[in-house]
Amino acid sequence: MQWYDNKEKNSGEEEVTVKIRFFAQFRELLGTDIVINVAAATMFTHLITTIARKNPKGYAAIFDENGTFHEFVILMKNGKRVDLTDAATTPVVDGDEIAVFPPVAGG
Amino acid sequence: MIAIQTGDVDIGALIAAAKKNGTGAIVVFDGIVRDDEITEMELEAYEEVAVKELEKIANDATDQFRLLHVDIIHRIGRLTVGENILIIVVSAGHRKEAYAGSRFIIEAIKAGVPIWKKELTKDGGRWVPGDHGHGKGHH
Repeated sequence: MQWYDNKEKNSGEEEVTVKIRFFAQFRELLGTDIVINVAAATMFTHLITTIARKNPKGYAAIFDENGTFHEFVILMKNGKRVDLTDAATTPVVDGDEIAVFPPVAGG
Repeated sequence: MIAIQTGDVDIGALIAAAKKNGTGAIVVFDGIVRDDEITEMELEAYEEVAVKELEKIANDATDQFRLLHVDIIHRIGRLTVGENILIIVVSAGHRKEAYAGSRFIIEAIKAGVPIWKKELTKDGGRWVPGDHGHGKGHH
């Protein structure tokens, strides 16, 4: 239903609504449960870059100076891992829950 | 029982409930907040995913080590020194399977379940660094 609402608002331009969840130090720097409307076919890397740029420390925690994900960053789409090397070519889909977090340290 | 929760559990009751037909050994792992000059520990989880992964680990361990019962309770929120963080109760026919199953579960949790710890000190806090290998043994 959201799809039609967005379509009307944007004169036919398709948008999708996704939720981004950051955890641990990423959450402290960037917040979490961020619900955002973006153009359909926005890629994971582009979306996360855009949000992370709101806080330089948050950006530096996730990306290196070349704008590449630090190798330790973990991405998930709806609870399933997305390889960092696929993130630039993986489009977000309406209703996606995207999680971004550092290495786990439970136990 | 597989759970991520703020509250503590009655380990004695878990042991009693883990005695099944054929149980010959129960191994209990109890991970505790250590006094590393910290005031408290703050734990956080990606709960929906973490619970599913704990369930998968319990199922894998049950199949691999012929376990008769598994409980995994991981606590989140603020915990003080001496409090339980993680309780694993494993029931098996023999000690070998019980120990091996318990070890498998704790190592799998450390390697891949989305839970994080922050040590709170008088001067602030610090996130406990996780393994950078993404649980796959590479860097």
